[in-house]
Amino acid sequence: MSKRPLGNILSCFRFHPSSLLSGVLALTMAALIARPLFVSGQEDSSSVRPSNVERKNKAPLSTETLRVHLPKPVEAKLANGLTVLILEDHRLPSVLAELHLRRAGALFEPDNLSGLASATAQMLREGTHKRSSRQIAEELDRLGASVGAGASFGSIETVFTASGLSENFDAWFAVASDILLRPSFPAAELNQLKERAKVQLRQQRASAGFLAGERFNRALFGGHPAGVVTATLESINALTPDLLTKWHRERYSPQNSVLAVAGDVSPSELLPKLEKWLGEWRGARGSQRIPPNPVPASARKVYLVDRPDSVQTSLTVGNIAIDRRSEDFVPMVVMNHLLGGGPAARLFLNLREEKGYTYGAYSSFTALQYPGPWRAGADVRTEVTDGALTELFNEIRRIQESKVGEAELAETKRSVVAGFALALEQPARVLGFALTRKFYNLADDYWDNYPAKIAAVTADDVQRVAGKYLNPEAMQIVAVGDGRKIRPILEKFGAVEVYDSEGKRIP
Amino acid sequence: MELKVFYPQENPLQRARARLSGLVSFLLGCALALPQIAWSSETPVRQSGKPSVSFQEFTLKNGLRVILSEDHAAPTYSICVTYNVGSRDERPGRTGFAHLFEHMMFQGSANVGKGEHFILVLNNGGSANGTTNADRTNYFETLPANQLELGIFLEADRMRALDVTQANFDNQHHTVQEERRLNYDNRPYGRTAETVLDTAYDNFAYKHSTIGSMEDLNAARIDDARAFFRTYYAPNNATLSLVGDFQTETALALIKRYFESIPSQPSPPVPDMTEPEQTGERRKSLEDAFAQAPRIDIAYKIKQGNTPDWYALRMLGHIMAGDLSSHLYQKLVKELELVVSVSAAPDERRGTSLFRISLVVRPDKSLQEVERFVHEEIERLKKEPPADWELDKVRMKFRRQQAQELYSSLSRANALGHYAVYYNDPDLINTALDKIAQVTKADLQRVADTYLRESNRTVVTTVPKSKAATKG
Repeated sequence: MSKRPLGNILSCFRFHPSSLLSGVLALTMAALIARPLFVSGQEDSSSVRPSNVERKNKAPLSTETLRVHLPKPVEAKLANGLTVLILEDHRLPSVLAELHLRRAGALFEPDNLSGLASATAQMLREGTHKRSSRQIAEELDRLGASVGAGASFGSIETVFTASGLSENFDAWFAVASDILLRPSFPAAELNQLKERAKVQLRQQRASAGFLAGERFNRALFGGHPAGVVTATLESINALTPDLLTKWHRERYSPQNSVLAVAGDVSPSELLPKLEKWLGEWRGARGSQRIPPNPVPASARKVYLVDRPDSVQTSLTVGNIAIDRRSEDFVPMVVMNHLLGGGPAARLFLNLREEKGYTYGAYSSFTALQYPGPWRAGADVRTEVTDGALTELFNEIRRIQESKVGEAELAETKRSVVAGFALALEQPARVLGFALTRKFYNLADDYWDNYPAKIAAVTADDVQRVAGKYLNPEAMQIVAVGDGRKIRPILEKFGAVEVYDSEGKRIP
Repeated sequence: MELKVFYPQENPLQRARARLSGLVSFLLGCALALPQIAWSSETPVRQSGKPSVSFQEFTLKNGLRVILSEDHAAPTYSICVTYNVGSRDERPGRTGFAHLFEHMMFQGSANVGKGEHFILVLNNGGSANGTTNADRTNYFETLPANQLELGIFLEADRMRALDVTQANFDNQHHTVQEERRLNYDNRPYGRTAETVLDTAYDNFAYKHSTIGSMEDLNAARIDDARAFFRTYYAPNNATLSLVGDFQTETALALIKRYFESIPSQPSPPVPDMTEPEQTGERRKSLEDAFAQAPRIDIAYKIKQGNTPDWYALRMLGHIMAGDLSSHLYQKLVKELELVVSVSAAPDERRGTSLFRISLVVRPDKSLQEVERFVHEEIERLKKEPPADWELDKVRMKFRRQQAQELYSSLSRANALGHYAVYYNDPDLINTALDKIAQVTKADLQRVADTYLRESNRTVVTTVPKSKAATKG
């Protein structure tokens, strides 16, 4: 055993000669190594990876058991109903605070006021009853602190974040509290913000990625609020200080919020300070009811966003899949990781390493309070649009039609568990796990059991969730590129609707 | 500008969350290799003191420089091999080659198959990547502590015996061309940076971009790759930095076992980096098919990195446009509402560097007016130094930034390699911060005076294509 000092360690892996020492979890995890990790000189015959991957199996690998510490944040509630999570971590002389305002998200915006949540969040820094925009900027920069807030489309929350050194924590947190609780939404500052936002509206249309996301979300979600990915000129023009003040007053409520703090703090010192700074914050618990679930498309459709001068086609295919509380979340993680989770996954190995179509091909899914999208995609040179789209669908069908080999499955699961375990070293990630558990009412021991749940996923599970949640016959296909060249190709994949880069349909 | 062998995408677990915070970054797949895993009951204990990095240096018989920094704060380690070769070593007609070659380093070697490198690292809990810039190329992995031998083995195997085949070379050719299309040819302002380099520099070494031109990428031949490997990928042209949870003795023994028998090679040619003094302003305008708003890039030639003047310019750039209380942000974004964004900073090169100011101008505003304000601001800085609090805030900012960077074993390993290869001084990981902190008001005025002059300036304007057409 190494003579590693016990102590200054947040999450620690230790290696034991026997798995008996490590209890139940180690025994469950043994499933992951049912097949030896390292068999010198033997080719793994059950692998179904693309033929261009060559396994020499000569690298030296350790099979020791690792012990992982899953830190648990301290949980408390302030008198005003605000839930607080605190994770002590003294490795760095800094503190990060994140306030999740769970009723102030863009998902709750009225149809004609897209951008209201985001504008309110961004305006917090632009003036309080005590401080001007410039004073706030100077004071925070002097203190070396970062404070800001944002609201992303499709989300139920606004996230307010503040971070800085622990040595002047009191000073910067006081400013952050002022910004959060007493914004004045000055009209002149709002007008400036609106002008900047209008330029951004225009700028984002230069990006193929934005155009793809805009069309894809519309295609999947239709009129559901999750179909919105941007404000409009009209909705920005409609914003007034009164609307922002009202949104802030009604939706920034302590009872619907969770404050997560990580870093060089101790709960016993911090909690009284939070009472002092945030205690005056009042607000009733409001409904967090979200709109009815989106209705998945019943037929495949192809959307071409014509972007003249493009030298690549930006391809996205996908459909609505699962929400975060789905029983199938864990097998979906494994299935997606195997198909398109990184540079060792099937899409990358096929479209990049074998075909040379692209710099990268990946898949991903989003699971929130409502069923979100699963998607796969790649940016490919215009000439290979046909081949790339064909291979995307070939890989989707392959994972549905043929059962994944044991070796590939075991490696994928090992990679997922490993990724999870290493994330535990980063306090912000640990807090993230705790927040997810809270937000989705997952079991108290959800993350303790997470590796075991990953380990339990079978080849049948992978095939089952691929069959159930990937629906190639009804997938929406979005291609952003040079319309003249790719339209005939796209027509082979389904009925094509054409849009220009302003987002307008071209008949 | 640095190019990667691939872009890590978000981890699905992270995606599944309702979005934590833009301020929190994380490394994908940075993970731990677990054949077996068990929870431990360790609790964190307070650590204090000024963050600093201690390390030991060794040189193997074949000339490989080894830097070991043992640290048991987390059960992981990072290995980084920095090769003393970058796009500045390329010859005319072969631009982009150093980076194309970097891709080949992931295509297999004597004991590692094509595609196996990523599989071995990711499936054992790690992350890996490689990057190329003008001055160096590096390769790195982060792995759990129990896979120490794996990282050392992987780096040694490809340094000893890379397997360069025609099929793999053709494949990576395509991949790199797609990388160029994705990041340069298919996005707004994609060619602006290349135009700035091409206009400002006279010496070929920095005049061309690291990604290179399509024509030159097409012209690359497999024989070039073999020769390049032999010349530059020798142990005596590399620095290995290892940071994290290991015993120095054990690690050194493993490094010797895997690396020491790799034969050294004659020293590679040293590129001529002389850059003639600029004697007059240079201007260029380009049209951009995708840009929606015009952009102005102003570049001044300055001294190389790690010089007192360079550190002073680093501070000056921050005061000019580094945060929301900076001069140009307050003036041009907030007060006058002329620009959408502004930045100002020196790039860090081993030879003549550039101090670059970049502004995205509102579509309805005048480029000339914006440029005039920038020049006025510079002239003012030559006469009136910034306030004390502004120097203090920059010191605070860099201190916090450094503390954050030192957190991860990977950024420490990369920084040690960077400072060793660039300046032959890995201890800059500890001392660079002091060099910024020591900058005075007089230094700021001096560097503004010395470098931010009209005759030393290159101005590139990028205008949306349609606009340019209607202007006629």
